[in-house]
Amino acid sequence: MATIPEVMSDTPTRDDQDRSGGPAGPDQILPDGDPVEQPSADTPARRYTDEQKYQVFNKEFMPHIDSMYNFAFRLTTDEDDANDLVQDTYLKAFRFISSFEQGTNAKAWLFRILKNSFINDYRKKSKEPAKVDYQDVETTYNSEDAESEHTVDLRAESVSDLIGDEVATALNSLPVDFRTVIILCDIEGFTYEEMAKILDIPIGTVRSRLHRARNLLKEKLRDYASSMGYKEESEE
Amino acid sequence: MKEHCDHQVDCLKMIQLILDGEATDQQLARLKANLVSCQPCIQMYHLEQEVKELLTKRMEKKCCPEKLVATIKSKILTFS
Repeated sequence: MATIPEVMSDTPTRDDQDRSGGPAGPDQILPDGDPVEQPSADTPARRYTDEQKYQVFNKEFMPHIDSMYNFAFRLTTDEDDANDLVQDTYLKAFRFISSFEQGTNAKAWLFRILKNSFINDYRKKSKEPAKVDYQDVETTYNSEDAESEHTVDLRAESVSDLIGDEVATALNSLPVDFRTVIILCDIEGFTYEEMAKILDIPIGTVRSRLHRARNLLKEKLRDYASSMGYKEESEE
Repeated sequence: MKEHCDHQVDCLKMIQLILDGEATDQQLARLKANLVSCQPCIQMYHLEQEVKELLTKRMEKKCCPEKLVATIKSKILTFS
């Protein structure tokens, strides 16, 4: 019985490799303040009876299905891909239900599986236009010069009339890593700590990635705002 | 009222932490002070708040199609 190695082979992401100790399955989402008990291949998996499995699945996993679908749709920007991704995620969650501990954060656990599946299976074939290498963008936006330009050239009044579609288009035009942090934080309301666990990155990285993502998003929104006739007061 | 802020980048980071509910009491106190005395901070705060609201309230929340829910449930049943 090799449940956990199987999870690994299912989700061999770069992100998964850099946690020290223990294999990285979806099992690493632990409740706040819990002792970090990493189940390893040697640890017997939690044993649920079949009946308990269905109960956990229905009570802890199914209530998050709309959020999961929304996340999948925002990542793939395609309904068919979102369908497949959500289905794969839920089947995976059921298969590895023994590594889910009842009472822990099921939503974060599921989001982590979905995000890993997306990276492995869907990102490759995704049709999103204008792929930008994340490192390039991160480097560009690292310089203080770049940042200071982006702080105040958009005004609250000018974005208040934007509609959902415009916001969605602006969001979709961001590189996926930036898009993801915005979805997790602003749409799903995860805390930075939960995001760090879902994405397998340190909290400091969550914070800076979110900051850059928002600057980029505002730049896109500024384009919409100015196309609607808002002018920047200072420049012209 | 300050018309110019020398720490805009840091202030912006602080404002985002506060709107995300991740700020310390100290940062919160600093923002409160800035919001009565610093014009650029006031503008940044309103803009960040507006953008966050756009994302939380104005974007359509896609719901999972009933058909998919049914498919998942029936596939699960064939597993054990």
